[in-house]
Amino acid sequence: MENAGDGTHPGGSFAVSCERISFSYPGSERPALSDISLHVRPGEYVGVAGPNGGGKSTLVRLLNGLLRPDSGGVRVSGRDPATEPFEVRKHLGVLFQNPENGLVAPFVEDDIAFGLENLGVPREEMRDRVAGAVRAVGLEGYERREPSTLSGGEKQRVALAGLLAVDPEILVLDEPTSMLDAAGRREVLEYLGALPAEKTILHVTHHLEELLDADRILLLNDGDLVADETPERFFSDADLLRENRLVLPVVPRLALELGLAPAKLRTPEELAEAILAKTESGTRAG
Amino acid sequence: MKLELKDVRYVYAPGTPFEVEALRGVSLVVEPDEVLGIIGGTGSGKSTLAQHMNLLLTPAGGEVLVDGVDAISLEKSELRRRVGLVFQFPESALFAPTVEEDVAFAPRQLGLDEEEVKERVRESLRALGAEELAARSPFALSGGEKRRAAIAGVLAMKPEVLVLDEPTAGLDPATRQDLLALILGLREAGVSVVLVSHDLDEVAEVTDRVCILEEGRVRAVGTPAEVFYQDPTQAPATVRVTSLLKEAKPEIGDPVRFGETLDALRALQEV
Repeated sequence: MENAGDGTHPGGSFAVSCERISFSYPGSERPALSDISLHVRPGEYVGVAGPNGGGKSTLVRLLNGLLRPDSGGVRVSGRDPATEPFEVRKHLGVLFQNPENGLVAPFVEDDIAFGLENLGVPREEMRDRVAGAVRAVGLEGYERREPSTLSGGEKQRVALAGLLAVDPEILVLDEPTSMLDAAGRREVLEYLGALPAEKTILHVTHHLEELLDADRILLLNDGDLVADETPERFFSDADLLRENRLVLPVVPRLALELGLAPAKLRTPEELAEAILAKTESGTRAG
Repeated sequence: MKLELKDVRYVYAPGTPFEVEALRGVSLVVEPDEVLGIIGGTGSGKSTLAQHMNLLLTPAGGEVLVDGVDAISLEKSELRRRVGLVFQFPESALFAPTVEEDVAFAPRQLGLDEEEVKERVRESLRALGAEELAARSPFALSGGEKRRAAIAGVLAMKPEVLVLDEPTAGLDPATRQDLLALILGLREAGVSVVLVSHDLDEVAEVTDRVCILEEGRVRAVGTPAEVFYQDPTQAPATVRVTSLLKEAKPEIGDPVRFGETLDALRALQEV
């Protein structure tokens, strides 16, 4: 068995490991997750995709100990989030989907510092780390704003800054760009891309184009883990996409319809160039 | 219904050091039976503007007119029945033990008889493909199911104008497409829809007109083709592709929607 490790520490060599976990919400007739096993190595960048109700957010909540599995075991950096949630949260930070729910403090800077206060970081260091996180997400000048006066997208940046300030080894991002416009999304993806390579990232998203740089993509549907593929294979598998109600973003979808390679053509510029090259060679041939 | 905003201004936390001028004189008309898209960067004033459409926020300056009548002179309950507003992440307001009860809450406030309330609940849930959720607890639903239940609650008021603030944020692409189809269906049924969204690709698919907000002002308003071809750097992916091809292939025209764009690109490949 791959996860046997040294046999003393279940899941010890993995950043995250789930062994045959199942979970049902009270009052729900079908399980939100059924018999899922998955392993993520330190430094891996893993995308998590799948339709609403597929089990993505449930998985996130099991990883940080907000929920405990009905059966099976979860290990995060070798610890069980169900019994040691506070210890686990030092290693694993979550950016939740709806930024409204996460903001608690009177001012933006206090909100960003909130996670650090809980970890007992000294005042001086806290100031530096908050300032660095504010810069990283482009919120300079917002430090003394009240979170309630911010737009949805700005709140999402505040929440991301709070996570960057804590600087956990494992970052779990649940739809981190759902409230951002195209420019804001590109920026967030750039922060993620700029994170040190040793960080482990689990990135839950409906925007499949955000996962092109992932090492692999896990697909959850109806509580089952139905695929674990590289982005190239995933994007070209039209049946898999259709069966799981996934829709490619506009540029690769146009490429696929025009008979061009969908995973290679990421940007409008790349697609336009490929179309020009194709029409010109066609003109010369004709 | 024709909904008109005239020189609307709004300031958050006025007179404090945290004062933010969110709307700096916005004039805009929502025509009967149209889908109007409101786009703009984060913090441009989109949500603030949406919340003025049923006077959830009272403008600090300017006015909101409903068929030419100052909205302030209308009963609040009447105004909010005619102009339905679905907030960002509306599912956070679900509260009843079942979805059915939740959707029934607002129409019941209108004093309709129980038969009519039931009928409206059924119709709204059906429109959202959510009939099977009727007896479930809102709290045991997935994010997408909750979203549909919350929108059904506003739809059950039978509004003449439906204002949707980021209705597809966090939804999976297939659920998003279902919701866009619902918007087009509502327009067919004579409801005007205001779609506030940061997703230019979806705005391109369903809107008749588009308004770009920038720092609390209207920067541009017009058909999607007019607005997006004016500045293709701030346009949906379809327009970004075609505008790059325009110099070499002017015959491509001004397509905006996915289907039109695909046809235009195929035509290029065929010659």
